[in-house]
Amino acid sequence: MAGFIIRRLLYMIPMMFAISVVTFIIIQLPPGDFLTALTARLASQNETIDPSVIAGLRERYGLDQPWAVQYWKWISGILLRGDFGQSLDWNKPVSELIWARMGLTMVVSVTTLLFVWAVAFPIGIYSAVRQYSVGDYVATFFGFLGLAIPNFLLALVLMYVSAQYFGQSTGGLFSPAYINAVWSWAKLGDLISHMWIPVVVLGTGATAALIRIMRANLLDELNKPYVDMARARGLSEIRLLLKYPVRVALNPFISTVGWVLPHLVSGSVVVSIVLSLPITGPLLLNALFAQDMYLAGTFILLMSMLTLIGTLISDLLLAWLDPRIRNG
Amino acid sequence: MQHVRILRRQVVSTVAAAILMGAGWAGVAFGFEESPELKALVDAGKLPPVEKRLPKEPLVLTPLESVGTYGGTWRTATFGGGDSEIERSIGYTRLVRWNPEWTEVIPDLAKSVEVNADATEYTFILREGTRWSDGEPFTADDLVWWNENVLRNTKITPAAPNWLTAGGETVKVEKLADDKVVFKFAAPNGLFLMNMATVRGSDILAAAPAHYLKQFHKDFNPDGIEALVKAAGATDWVQLFNNKIGFPGRWRDLGRPTLDAWVLTAPYNGTTQVVAERNPYYAKVDTAGNQLPYFDRITIDVMQDTQAIILKAISGEIDMQNRFIETTDARTVIVQNQEKGGYGLFIARPAWSNALLITLNQTHKNPALRAVFSNKDFRIGLSYAINREELNQLIYAGQAKPYQAAPREGTALYDEKMATQYLEYNVDLANQYLDKAGLTKHDAEGYRLGQDGKRITFAIDALTGSPIQVDALEMIQRYWRAVGIDMQPRPAERSLIFSRLQNNENDGLGWVGGGGYDFLGLLDPKWYFPHEYESSFATAWGLYYQNPKDPNAQEPSSAAKKQMDLYRQVKEAPTLEKQLAAMKELLAITRDEFYVIGTNLEPDRVGIVKTNMRNVPKVIPSTSFYMTPGPAKPETFYYQQ
Repeated sequence: MAGFIIRRLLYMIPMMFAISVVTFIIIQLPPGDFLTALTARLASQNETIDPSVIAGLRERYGLDQPWAVQYWKWISGILLRGDFGQSLDWNKPVSELIWARMGLTMVVSVTTLLFVWAVAFPIGIYSAVRQYSVGDYVATFFGFLGLAIPNFLLALVLMYVSAQYFGQSTGGLFSPAYINAVWSWAKLGDLISHMWIPVVVLGTGATAALIRIMRANLLDELNKPYVDMARARGLSEIRLLLKYPVRVALNPFISTVGWVLPHLVSGSVVVSIVLSLPITGPLLLNALFAQDMYLAGTFILLMSMLTLIGTLISDLLLAWLDPRIRNG
Repeated sequence: MQHVRILRRQVVSTVAAAILMGAGWAGVAFGFEESPELKALVDAGKLPPVEKRLPKEPLVLTPLESVGTYGGTWRTATFGGGDSEIERSIGYTRLVRWNPEWTEVIPDLAKSVEVNADATEYTFILREGTRWSDGEPFTADDLVWWNENVLRNTKITPAAPNWLTAGGETVKVEKLADDKVVFKFAAPNGLFLMNMATVRGSDILAAAPAHYLKQFHKDFNPDGIEALVKAAGATDWVQLFNNKIGFPGRWRDLGRPTLDAWVLTAPYNGTTQVVAERNPYYAKVDTAGNQLPYFDRITIDVMQDTQAIILKAISGEIDMQNRFIETTDARTVIVQNQEKGGYGLFIARPAWSNALLITLNQTHKNPALRAVFSNKDFRIGLSYAINREELNQLIYAGQAKPYQAAPREGTALYDEKMATQYLEYNVDLANQYLDKAGLTKHDAEGYRLGQDGKRITFAIDALTGSPIQVDALEMIQRYWRAVGIDMQPRPAERSLIFSRLQNNENDGLGWVGGGGYDFLGLLDPKWYFPHEYESSFATAWGLYYQNPKDPNAQEPSSAAKKQMDLYRQVKEAPTLEKQLAAMKELLAITRDEFYVIGTNLEPDRVGIVKTNMRNVPKVIPSTSFYMTPGPAKPETFYYQQ
């Protein structure tokens, strides 16, 4: 097992290198550079920037150098000094920007995940056990509805409703009074009262998908002979369900748990923009638009890294969960 | 109550005018008043009395409606991490500024300024006793320090901005007395004061508090600088220093002394909310001697989505603002929710004139397209082919009258013929002009053929983020198809559009603009003559004007060259009258050349203002060149109890 993990970790090194090169190339692909994007952004708002200033900045940021030189500057900083470079748009160290938003990103994502599980598992199991019952149809109907409504639209509608009918302040994770306040119970309460919108919006699609997966897998399992056998032995229905079929049905879910990690960083970009959440999504999107290459590059690198780690974790989990894989 | 001080430095009796002083100041010391919070601090001995904090002769502002009362918060919102809203609402303080109507430059922190006859020397008289927000005096030394150690330090400023250079040399600032400095240019720089009134002027005072900035400057703190760089996580001292003085870095620096009406207490870090509180040393008073500003504080919510800002507005969480909520598609919601949100409206008049102008690149690399685009008859034909009234009804809800890319009515530069030529919708006339342009051959589908025997087909770039313009272009595509011209609207991301422009690879462009207010035309003449690559009707000529050696530059036409000379005259003229006179000549050529096809006049937009907020003008120009709402004097806005 240890050998397996070490081997997997070693594979990651060339993989990461390849990813970092591809990342950098992708970021350089759009025409122009950070300063082109800046000029364009200003012009679209009827503003201008001095050409001489632009020329000076281009030199200072080294944007006139070949991309290999720029890549080396970036990657050597990361490897040798743990320095992810400076964001051109923010004039701040990239690491500072990313970590500042990581906390709330985690909170939102983990809460969403728990919400999804808490809703989807019981409903999924119920739908499978009571196939074609009224409850199954209702759950399925709402599930599909949740899957079908685009997240950003749902976000806008919920924001409008909460502004119009509940008089709640819109957007963000805090009321104006608490935005810059230090943490307190009151601030936590304020956060929770704002959290429901992003959590519901982000959760709907995933919940629906999970209900269907759970239901389908469980239906496959429930018709297998070992279930009848266990029943014949007089096991209680609940215990019987949870002991075997549910465990097996969890397989596809566990194999995708690895995607949860990168999702923590990138997930829900559109929704967090619509809701003005102070998390990483909007930062990444703006970095890409502004061609703020070090910031965007670090983001993509981080996500790739998390995907690799997540995949490893889900492989280990699967092995633990399913003896057929462990001994396969 | 206004008088002009004329200084005749030379026998020329015409110019050398001093800018008007704000109010007739007799030097009578009346009792100054201050806000209750500050009074309490004075009583507690934590702050010097108000007379000691104000200049000897503070600038007296005449409120628009009435003398106000202290208190309240002005809530606004902004979008993203680098927007200029904070500069416009909190940071509009300069030596000179725009008047609210945007018809002249008036003194702000400077008591007066005198210009010599050839616009090379500008002498500013400062107000004795003006103080930074930390109580330190603001004097001529600060401006000299900025000039010597920031602007002319090539590490910090690799290239000085154009408006601070003339004749290839950077401006020199010399001290004449504690309250008197002169800005000396090597060549005439007539637009200097106007530029200072725009967003550009912020950069001077932001980099002037020498007593604070010296610690971050290697020349003044050689031993301690390394530790400061490390602590800030900057790459080197130059970056650290630039973060202290540049935009938006300076708005993340809590300890920074300013001369603004409000001082930062929660920084602009791009996520949550910016807060600024009243500056106890603010150098202006109202006509009753009350120290301004009236509002205790400003809060700016930083949003990541403009729709969220609109929602904020209609739920009454914004007190006075036009940016981000003035878009055409938001108008209905904003107007309908006045009662619920507890606000009224003010007119935010766009500074430019056209909601959509269309340029065709006369310097196109493809000779067939270049030939038709440079043919004035071709452009006139296309102009006649557009049904602007239908555009107005279907796209702009009847708010946008047909208009060419010309100055707005009621401005000094307004030219009726220029604004109204070739506006009517007349397909026969359009076809006549296109035939006259030599495009008499059609292909099987009815499209006209160019000189190379191929169908004339081209794309017009437009911003994906401006769906209204894309809609309008799709209608124009139909109008032009009817006269045998194949145009494809091409929505694209802005950077892509701009890199096409930089390389002279654009066919055409749909954009807002086309002049408008006088000062916009003077400062940003890109739609009037080939001024830069953004002058997309002749991109390569614009590149030539900026740098004749640019690999994509092309030799301009004689008319365009004449305009370039005229614009040099504009920049060299010492008075507004002379500048406008030269500009009018330049515009006559623009009119006759008909570079740009205009469609409809950009409709007036609306901003919101809380029903009990006073002293807010009914009409405010909307553009970064004006710095909306800064010149409208937010320091005099207040809530009526």
